[in-house]
Amino acid sequence: MAGSRSELRRAAEKGFRYFDYNLIVIVLFLLIFGLVMVYSSSSYDAFLTFGNASFYLKKQIIATVVGLAAMIIVALIPYNLFYRVGMLAYLVSLVFIFLIIPFGHEANGAKRWIYISGISFQPAEIAKLAMIVFLACLIRRMGDGIHTWRGFGFVLGMTAIISALLWGVTSNASSAIIVFGIALVMLFVATRDYKRYVIVGVAGAILAALVVIIILANASGVESGNVGGYRGERILAWLDPEAYASGKGFQTLQSLYAIGSGGFFGKGLGESMQKLGFIPEAQNDMIFSVICEELGLFGALALMLLFILLLWRLKIIADNAKDLFGTLIVAGVMGHISIQVILNIAVVTNTIPNTGISLPFISYGGSALVCLMCEMGLALGVAKAIRAREY
Amino acid sequence: MAPVYNDGRVKKGNRNRNQIRTKLRVFFIIILAAFVGLGIRLYMISRNNGEEYARQVLSQQEYDSVVIPYRRGDIYDRNGMILASSNKVYNVILDCSVLLGKEEYLDPTLHALHSVFGLDESEIRSFIVANPSSKYKILAKRVGYEEMMAFLDLKKDEETGSLIKGVWFEDEYVRQYPNSTLGCDIIGFTSNDNIGNFGLEQYYDSTLRGTNGREYGYLNEDSDLERTVIPAVDGYNIYSTIDINIQSTVEKYLAEFNEEYKNNVNIANGAENVACIIMEVDTGNVLAMAQYPVYDLNDPRNTDRLIGARQVDVEGKKTTGKPIEITANLVMNDMVDPDAISTEENGETTEEGAGENTETAEDAAATGGEPLLMTESLYVTEESLRLMDDDTVYQNLNSLWKNYCINTTYEPGSVAKPFTVAAALDSGSITGNEYYNCEGFLKVGDHEIKCHNVYGDGYLSVAEAVERSCNVALMHISFACGKETFLKYQHAFGFGLKTNIDLAGESRTASLVYTPSSMRQTDLATNSFGQGFNCTMIQMITGFCSLINGGNYYEPHMVSKIVTSDGSTIENIEPRVLKQTISPSVSAKIIEYCNLVVAGEYGTGKTARPAGYRIGGKTGTAETLPRGNGEYVVSFMGYAPADDPEIAIYVVVDRPNVGTWGAQADAKYATRIVRNILTDVLPYLHIYMTEPLSDKEKAELEEKNLMDTHGFSGEGAELETVSEPSGEETGAEQPADTEAEGGNVEEVHEEAEQPWKDFDIDPNTGYAVDPNTGAYVDPVTGATIGLNENLPGGEAPVTADQDASAIGDAPDIIY
Repeated sequence: MAGSRSELRRAAEKGFRYFDYNLIVIVLFLLIFGLVMVYSSSSYDAFLTFGNASFYLKKQIIATVVGLAAMIIVALIPYNLFYRVGMLAYLVSLVFIFLIIPFGHEANGAKRWIYISGISFQPAEIAKLAMIVFLACLIRRMGDGIHTWRGFGFVLGMTAIISALLWGVTSNASSAIIVFGIALVMLFVATRDYKRYVIVGVAGAILAALVVIIILANASGVESGNVGGYRGERILAWLDPEAYASGKGFQTLQSLYAIGSGGFFGKGLGESMQKLGFIPEAQNDMIFSVICEELGLFGALALMLLFILLLWRLKIIADNAKDLFGTLIVAGVMGHISIQVILNIAVVTNTIPNTGISLPFISYGGSALVCLMCEMGLALGVAKAIRAREY
Repeated sequence: MAPVYNDGRVKKGNRNRNQIRTKLRVFFIIILAAFVGLGIRLYMISRNNGEEYARQVLSQQEYDSVVIPYRRGDIYDRNGMILASSNKVYNVILDCSVLLGKEEYLDPTLHALHSVFGLDESEIRSFIVANPSSKYKILAKRVGYEEMMAFLDLKKDEETGSLIKGVWFEDEYVRQYPNSTLGCDIIGFTSNDNIGNFGLEQYYDSTLRGTNGREYGYLNEDSDLERTVIPAVDGYNIYSTIDINIQSTVEKYLAEFNEEYKNNVNIANGAENVACIIMEVDTGNVLAMAQYPVYDLNDPRNTDRLIGARQVDVEGKKTTGKPIEITANLVMNDMVDPDAISTEENGETTEEGAGENTETAEDAAATGGEPLLMTESLYVTEESLRLMDDDTVYQNLNSLWKNYCINTTYEPGSVAKPFTVAAALDSGSITGNEYYNCEGFLKVGDHEIKCHNVYGDGYLSVAEAVERSCNVALMHISFACGKETFLKYQHAFGFGLKTNIDLAGESRTASLVYTPSSMRQTDLATNSFGQGFNCTMIQMITGFCSLINGGNYYEPHMVSKIVTSDGSTIENIEPRVLKQTISPSVSAKIIEYCNLVVAGEYGTGKTARPAGYRIGGKTGTAETLPRGNGEYVVSFMGYAPADDPEIAIYVVVDRPNVGTWGAQADAKYATRIVRNILTDVLPYLHIYMTEPLSDKEKAELEEKNLMDTHGFSGEGAELETVSEPSGEETGAEQPADTEAEGGNVEEVHEEAEQPWKDFDIDPNTGYAVDPNTGAYVDPVTGATIGLNENLPGGEAPVTADQDASAIGDAPDIIY
């Protein structure tokens, strides 16, 4: 921290405005690494399905370029401008979620994408971005009101509506959880006490345990495979993936095989065998297991370290942001990225039940990437506004 | 205005900021903790399950291998005609998971399957619904190339073809025998798994069989999946020495014989077995080998072919006609009154009966039907077939599939006489100038062994002894040899030894011949005329060829050439002389004697001579065991042309369906077949006629659409016009003629008394009747034909002889 302070001071002395190049380098590295891994994990499937090994790579490059442009544009916009329109962001989330109903495109039994004039995107990703801006704005505007249970409840309530809609309209539970998690992180940063988060945490843990127990109790009575519910079976597959090897446990099990077979240094870039038709959508939610297989434990830990560096840079920006709004925005971005990375790796290692969460910057997916880059733009914008004189 | 911490109240703002920083720090620590936790989790996975998962990854890679079937080699006859061949067929395989990949695949694919293979759409549909993930379902087996191509054409179709998915074809070969029954006992058949059964298929199984190929994937050094194809190696083709034309001629006449005598006395085939071998005298190559009954090689398990055959029980032994139990619901109720059967009887029959009886009794109990008694069938009928269990049916099929010519052993009878004479001549025991007095029997030790002509032939030269098939003379000749010499020659002629013909299933006969220590004088006496020891047909004809070809014993052969699937020759199997059995001069004498059998006026084989040819040979009639049952094996073994034999032919009629005693001393059943076969085969082999033709013979040739081949031979061209029938032509169908001719001949022939010449002729049969015994007697040769209960079997050796009966009791079929 001392280093960054002297950096800032030096920047101020020289009359330059601060720009977080560390963050940029980390993001660029993640982006390029992501492209490499997307190509490695998708080329086999792309060739089989589309006859073009770089089918997914091309689309991801376009998304990356668009994302970079978006990041720069957002970073250049003074971020206090977002404070003024922040409350509208909530409406934006709502509108995009409801756009799914007329424009939604169904895939794998769920409507998650909107196709408008040839461009497809996921409203859930836009909702995450918009909710970060909205919540930062709301909390800032509530002032001390946030410390009351009422204010706390109000913020959570507003978030819960979006989460519920995401769950209900797009049947996208993971996005709902992430949005709710972002809100919790931002509230945690903004409020003083710890007690209520411990309560929330313990309550959540008990609830989760109860759900698991109930499902297990039901399952033991009924023959396996006949267990009621889509999610119920997921829980059972989580506890014993081998028993559901050909069903719900398949993806998880294949992912574990990939991780386990990678060893310490992996099989080498591009040498994954699990991506050859065994891990479904290897370029997507399961890309981390391909990384583990090809680059081994070493590569996986290095990638995790890179994420920690990224989060650390964001923490510094949040620490030093010019105002509370900036701090909250960056905290929201931190929350978003950390939650997704942790949940993604947790799913891939079967630490939690399988749910679709992509790995930020790495996984294939255009709208997620562009939205993330916008968030990076926001963080850079906050960083840019840091004035040395404050220290 | 940018919002600042708490609107400029610096103190409070700093406190807030510090608080927030603390919170961020706590949050960051939580994140770090989560990352560390996940890192440990990753480490644990790769430490605890790393190897197991690595193996899993390798094992689920699809280096699945596909077997590429080899093609079993073809079997050709000597002219390259196909006897057996393997043809590619295709199994239609459905991969449901591919078919269900898109909904629009389903209907076009099912429609195509229905239109090409006639498969039921709804049936496939219900299978798909039940097994959506099935990847391998055989929809149709063994469809032909045309059908497969029709399906592939549909798939190539621009519009709908791309929607036909999930169907592929698996190669398979199916063995086909284009001539169905032709040569069945030589060729044999294959079971489903390409294993040869019987005949050439079994003997040359390893030659015909190839090696399956394999297409498989494997992981190379860099763990990349690679696919490799090891092509199948097809089996070798074999060329048999069989000539398909000769074979079919032989089979035609064997079947014709069967038609003639079928259901004659018994409701059964024309004979238990009738078989023929034609062999090249100077090579040992078999030109034809056939028997009746036959079976369809393409459908060997069809039990219809069994009907009329001698029935065997579950142990493969011939049925004896003993009473058996059957269930009431299987027979007519009026056959036996069920109430009359006591439980005692049930118990007895079950005890003594074979396994099947117990089973049927159990069946009866199960079905609630009353067990009945009836006589076990001697011959297979539709009804007895219905009563058989599976094992018994299999045993009966097994006896149908066996090759009589190499598998069945029997007492050869008088066809063994040339061997005895040859042994005596070659060993110098006789000179050929001796005369023997036949009084109708010879007393050997305590036993009177009878000649077939019980009235005696008087003084006979060696040549006449063979011509008339005189047992007494032959006994004298064998005594001149002594048993050591006799057995030494018997061994040299191949009796008791396998010929090692290249066919599966040849019997071992070592225990069916005598050794010097086991042979007594009576045994030597009966052996001299072919009773008391057992042999196979192939032994007889192979040995006989050496008698008439100058003494060269050739190993008999069925296959002349082995070639690869692309036609290059691997092996030529050349004729192989194994030994010199007799000297060429003795051989010449044997030919001279055997020619008399057909040409001589008292010859027993005159009816074997085909029109226009001179042939030689020897007849045989052997009584089967037990002695006195009146059943005979009649045979003729001959060769053509008479002076320079090229082919040998041996026909055996095993127990003709002519009733008890009906076949005694009457080799006509065999000689007529020989005559028919040679009439067709000799011209085919470019052996031309040398003898004048009678008008009757000309008419016969014309009827058979055969050419008079005198013109081709160069020498006998002028003889064509000779029309006078020679005295030897004995119309087989007209015994009255025979009698008349015989009468003419009698005046010329002044021999010792021939009392049978004075017997009355029975108007019904044409045979002379002995006024003392009432027995039928051949009016020419004096041989006893018909029966009288008091009359002992003409050629039967003395039944009291224990050694002989011990040997005789040995089973006919030796494996």
